[in-house]
Amino acid sequence: MSTVNFTIPVVTHAASSASDLSEKVTVKNLDFYYGDHRALKNINVSLYHGKVTAFIGPSGCGKSTLLRVLNRMYDLYPNQRATGTVRLDNDDILEPSQDLNLLRAKVGMVFQKPTPFPMTIYENIAFGIRLYENLPKPELDNRVQQALQRAALWNEVKDKLDANGLSLSGGQQQRLCIARTVAVRPEVILFDEPCSALDPISTAKIEELIDELKEDYTIAIVTHNMQQAARVSDFTAFMYLGELVEYGDTTRMFTTPSDRRTQDYITGRFG
Amino acid sequence: MNSSGDRPVVDVAFQSSAAVSVAEKVDRAKVLQKLRLGDTIFRHVTRLAAITVLVILSGIIGSLIYGSIPALEKFGFNFLITESWNPVTEQFGAMSPIYGTIMTSLIAMLIAVPVGLFIALFLTELCPMWLRRPIGIAIELLAGIPSIIYGIWGLFVFAPFLQQHVQPFLISAFGDIPVLSTLFAGPPYGIGVLTAGLILAIMVLPFITSISRDVFEAVPPVLKEAAYGLGCTTWEVARYVVLPFTRVGVIGGVMLALGRALGETMAVTFVIGNAHRISGSIMAPGTTISATIANEFTEAVGDIYTSSLITLGLILFVITFIVLAFARLMLMRLNGRLGQ
Repeated sequence: MSTVNFTIPVVTHAASSASDLSEKVTVKNLDFYYGDHRALKNINVSLYHGKVTAFIGPSGCGKSTLLRVLNRMYDLYPNQRATGTVRLDNDDILEPSQDLNLLRAKVGMVFQKPTPFPMTIYENIAFGIRLYENLPKPELDNRVQQALQRAALWNEVKDKLDANGLSLSGGQQQRLCIARTVAVRPEVILFDEPCSALDPISTAKIEELIDELKEDYTIAIVTHNMQQAARVSDFTAFMYLGELVEYGDTTRMFTTPSDRRTQDYITGRFG
Repeated sequence: MNSSGDRPVVDVAFQSSAAVSVAEKVDRAKVLQKLRLGDTIFRHVTRLAAITVLVILSGIIGSLIYGSIPALEKFGFNFLITESWNPVTEQFGAMSPIYGTIMTSLIAMLIAVPVGLFIALFLTELCPMWLRRPIGIAIELLAGIPSIIYGIWGLFVFAPFLQQHVQPFLISAFGDIPVLSTLFAGPPYGIGVLTAGLILAIMVLPFITSISRDVFEAVPPVLKEAAYGLGCTTWEVARYVVLPFTRVGVIGGVMLALGRALGETMAVTFVIGNAHRISGSIMAPGTTISATIANEFTEAVGDIYTSSLITLGLILFVITFIVLAFARLMLMRLNGRLGQ
């Protein structure tokens, strides 16, 4: 495996469609610190509406950290801070005055492990909606159904909406979490290794789902699985030791990476 | 030895593999036998320890029942519903100690459960790191104070304070409200059911707090992050995620606290006033089962008096048992409903 031989024709995708890309999230000169440890070094990257951006790189390179900056999840913990600017549309979300609840309603997150809340399947979805909207029961039912359909889970759970969310299988739980995230109608969805705890069939379903969701959202996904990144994403960012080494069109990244380290990583020489 | 037909085959296989193995096998058998002996002893010792618990428990129940026979023969079921407690005429009834026991515990729980849960939530969800340890240690220290100290503090400091500052205020504040005016009717004695309930609340607070804190800390951070990720406030995370996730542990802690409140003797005896009567006002003196037993055991002369006190003990035992059974039932129903 010294040379990479992909038969996919290299289309200069990024160049041709650059005009109709709209930047949703723009990260500029971002540094992140866990106490004194600088975990992210001068990150510059953009997420585009209607596109999936994958973040790849070896463990501990800062992919998840970057994701946790985008919804300021790090704020829950003391001694973690970020400097630089992260624009969501035209708001700098790193501003101390940023309303975190509002931000997290706009930037949803799906975690590595499925995290259904300790309540019924119906309540798992309705819970998030109720935080922001006071809907009459029929409309709420409708929204719950829509969200579950969106997450391709409706047919499997429509007869047991009163069952505990924890009674579902791992893959179903993860789709429940996606439905829950979608139900709040976010603008950006962050996936933090959403399939690493799932079997191949569930993984395929989630990937299909991401592909369907991307039309309406801006999606960022962290993954350890290079094939997954190649399958689901439009853009790929390779991170290494807290730096963003290379960023660009996924096809180009996997066929003709310009950085030596990117090439080594995607061909499996380290990581 | 039905399997004897199979055995030689195995042995042959062993012997053919190496000649030394025969000698080794003998040694190993000896060692194994020794180990097996140790295992047998171990099994019997652990079983004995477990049986001891049963023996002690049934011994206590047995002697309580045996001791209460004279009183039960004389008063029968009326013992439970008679309010008077007269050592001179030897007429005894358990109604007022039962009422006092339940009432003081109820007051204690009404105060200690919300306060304890709030402390635990503050410690786990909101408290800055540097303040966590001091508060945590203070809670543990509160649990370590002997009940006799709560008793003398309650009698000499807390009760006079209530009498002079709190109770007159309560009496005048609730004086015009129908139900509350009876509940908080004067005069302000200082000592009484309310005071005992408040002292009990302070005493059981550390149990509720430290158990809830432990179970709150066991909530997976990612679950909380998921809730925050939807845009929940800390209150919403606590109310809809942390509390439901930990309800079994929290209810366990509350029941433990309730058990302690029901049986607490010394502190209550100091501040409750030890009056065998049921009053509509919670500020009036009363008594509890354990306070009655502690107060009167030394002066109990005659079989009926002694037996009545033992019967009180039996009743307390039954109440505690019912509370535990109820807690179990509640947990089973909770889990059953959610686990469909």
